Amino acid sequence: MADNSTYHSWLNEKRSHAWSVYQSTPTPTTKSEEWRYTDLAKLFPLEQIILEMGLVDSTQRPNREDLIEETNTAGRIQLTDGLVTNIQVDPAVDSQGVGLDSIQNTTYEKYQEIIRTNLCSHVLPPESGKFQALNAALWKDGVVIYVPKNVHVKMPIRGKHTLSTGNSAVCARTLIIAEEGSHVSYVEEFHSDDFSNKSMVSSSVEVVAHRNASVDFVSVQNLGRGIFFQVAQKSLVHRDACVNTLNVNLGSSLSRLDLNTRLLEPGANSKMLGLYFGDKDQHFDHNTSQDHLAPHTRSDLLYKGALDGNSRAAFRGIIRVHSGAQQSDAYQTNRTLLLSEQARADSLPNLEIEADDVKCSHGSTVGQLDPETIFYLLSRGFSRQQAERLIVLGFLGDVMTKLPHGAFRRVVKNVTDAVEQKLRHG
Amino acid sequence: MPESKLVDNLDLDNYKYGFVDSESHVYRTKPGLDESIVREISRQKEEPDWMLQFRLKALKIYESKPMPTWGGDLSDLEATLDEIYFYVKPQEQTERSWEDVPDKIKNTFERLGIPEAEQKSLAGVGAQYESEMVYHSLKEEWASKGVIFDSIEDGLKNHPELFKEHFGKVIPIADNKFSALNAAVWSGGSFVYIPKGVHLDTPLQAYFRVNQEKMGQFERTLIIVEEGAHATYVEGCTAPVYSTDSFHSGVIEIVVKKDARFRYTTIQNWSNNMYNLVTQRAVVQENATMEWLDGNLGSKLTMKYPSCYLVGKGAHGSIMSIAYAGPGQHQDTGGKVVHAAENTTSSIISKSISKEDGRSTYRGLCKVHEGAKGSRSNVECDALLINDTSRTDTYPYIEVDEKQANVGHEATVSKVGDEQLFYLKNRGLSEEEAMGLVVRGFLEPIAKELPLEYAVELNRLIEMEMEGSVG
Repeated sequence: MADNSTYHSWLNEKRSHAWSVYQSTPTPTTKSEEWRYTDLAKLFPLEQIILEMGLVDSTQRPNREDLIEETNTAGRIQLTDGLVTNIQVDPAVDSQGVGLDSIQNTTYEKYQEIIRTNLCSHVLPPESGKFQALNAALWKDGVVIYVPKNVHVKMPIRGKHTLSTGNSAVCARTLIIAEEGSHVSYVEEFHSDDFSNKSMVSSSVEVVAHRNASVDFVSVQNLGRGIFFQVAQKSLVHRDACVNTLNVNLGSSLSRLDLNTRLLEPGANSKMLGLYFGDKDQHFDHNTSQDHLAPHTRSDLLYKGALDGNSRAAFRGIIRVHSGAQQSDAYQTNRTLLLSEQARADSLPNLEIEADDVKCSHGSTVGQLDPETIFYLLSRGFSRQQAERLIVLGFLGDVMTKLPHGAFRRVVKNVTDAVEQKLRHG
Repeated sequence: MPESKLVDNLDLDNYKYGFVDSESHVYRTKPGLDESIVREISRQKEEPDWMLQFRLKALKIYESKPMPTWGGDLSDLEATLDEIYFYVKPQEQTERSWEDVPDKIKNTFERLGIPEAEQKSLAGVGAQYESEMVYHSLKEEWASKGVIFDSIEDGLKNHPELFKEHFGKVIPIADNKFSALNAAVWSGGSFVYIPKGVHLDTPLQAYFRVNQEKMGQFERTLIIVEEGAHATYVEGCTAPVYSTDSFHSGVIEIVVKKDARFRYTTIQNWSNNMYNLVTQRAVVQENATMEWLDGNLGSKLTMKYPSCYLVGKGAHGSIMSIAYAGPGQHQDTGGKVVHAAENTTSSIISKSISKEDGRSTYRGLCKVHEGAKGSRSNVECDALLINDTSRTDTYPYIEVDEKQANVGHEATVSKVGDEQLFYLKNRGLSEEEAMGLVVRGFLEPIAKELPLEYAVELNRLIEMEMEGSVG
């Protein structure tokens, strides 16, 4: 077992530094282009929750056991209020040297070096923004996934985040390092009850895919109302590597996603998928960027959503093809269905292109349910409600069909069920 | 032949209007801007007091607004603004007859082809030199039907009621920093009134020329198109090439009333040392149509987003834009449509070409207000990049507050394909011809809308810039 004391003081130093960055970074306002459509002062004044820097002294290692008799899961990790409580790993996967561990209280010392090299530094430093700094200062624990060279983890690793109380700020981190030629997929889910007090859940995700590695990352958020769900995800994609992401936003009152993929070397590739369904007074804000820094790189983004009630969604995406990134393909699509009179959608798909030999396109639409399609379904004997349900599921399902492979059947079903449930209540 | 060489042969960068006349003016203010200069401009124009107050108020607003940082690089502009002449009066009055225009100015415009243009079927011609319209004329046929085509100063003098009703209403002083600046120091521009039901079958044309070095031109145009009227207005702009920067900041306000139809065409070919920051907006009423045709070929930096406020049911707005950003140029252009009534429709088509380190930016807004049911909008942007140092950006803002609306945006970026060139060469075309064909084909959807057969000047410009020596 590892001696964690020097490691812990190193982590706390990083936290203190992040806290000073947080304090010196102004709270974003709608005057800043990236926060144009989300007025934090109105939707979620930070003063309403207690944000205090406290050094973490927890040394309690999570329970750890073998995962047996579960055929479609490589491992499980459970977090309650941001602390890792349970870890289960398929012994076959464990024996290949695949790491699934707590960041704060690692079971195996060998992961500490990987964390020291990668955490809160070259991927997502606290200087990236106000909330990136906040998370880097206040996180208590998180998930580290390490996949050694040429190891293929066939089945997904599943993470589950739950929240027991309101009126708090829970910050968690995820660090995924895929070594050369490896493959891993991670599915995380966020669940909680509704809270009458304002609460914040913050998640910072750092992904590094080394040469020829591939990482699939799926995040499904179905938190209760009263919560501000704030996410920063950043992926570094090396030569011939691939990082695919799917972000599903269904719950929380306010959700803000900052997603950045950096294609660093030739052959790097990323598929970025998003799905959201808003009702009542939910507010979703997606801020994505695709950076092409090398020739022969490819990115494809598709974000689709439906909005009911008073809900509102903003999408601000940017493709940056940097100088010299010739023969890159970059695509970006955002489509939103408005299901109610009061719903509102804002879309801002940006392009900045500094290389001339590229294939690049973006598209954005905001529209209503097509009356002709509804009419057709009515004429085939469906009720209006059934017809609308079918169209919305078909519209959103389009995103799910682009998931990399069959390992995500359970995710597809869970998301479809959750959407259906929202449709029934809407 | 390398591609960049081929594009050079298209003659896009050969600026033919860069010649200079020796300075000739009857009055000019000292460089820079303060309250005394605003008062002096107003005094020179013998304006009513309300206009002086309007200007002074605008100056305060201008001074209080920060320099915008969201668009092109304006970091050198503040220093430029301290050195330029805000008002240069070239002659005592606006002439009605070409003969009465001073020879020196006349020669300039003759070199630019203006009187020829008039002789060919234009309904009216206006010419602005430095800060004032030096010449304004309208064919008798249209004058007798009540059409007004005057300099803006004459509009204020001769039609004070009509003027005051609309002036500063479409674009309020505080709309942006440069609309405030224009409101403080405006000089020159046209006042146009098309009476109810009158169909102008030929365009009105205005021509803008800056000759003075370190000059700021602030024309202000007000156009009122009454119910059921139809008209087209064409403006062209050029300036000599100086080593110091000049500044042009116009404000164009247009009211298109019920069932009327109006098209505003700009071919901006300022020299490459000109800041061109223009605010153009039309309010479009019930079942009326407004079309902006915007060609941006010159200037150092252009920031210009013609806009349509669709306030009446069934109103339609269309913006077609061509931008060419050559070496050292930044064309930050686009369009804005605001749907504020039911069943309004709009379309924006933007085509840009960036060459060498040129940068073209599409920046646009499509906003659908709650209640604008049945609104439809489509935005298409295509960018062609010629060199690996060229840059293009697309920033389309889409804001939809209404469920029963359909809004779409699409953009593509491409280069002239080797395969396209190869195919055309296969069919017996030279490399130059093939390149010319591809570039022309790219611009064709907008180029075909240009009123080539009417505006001789425009025709020449387009031929020269777009089609050049090839084909």
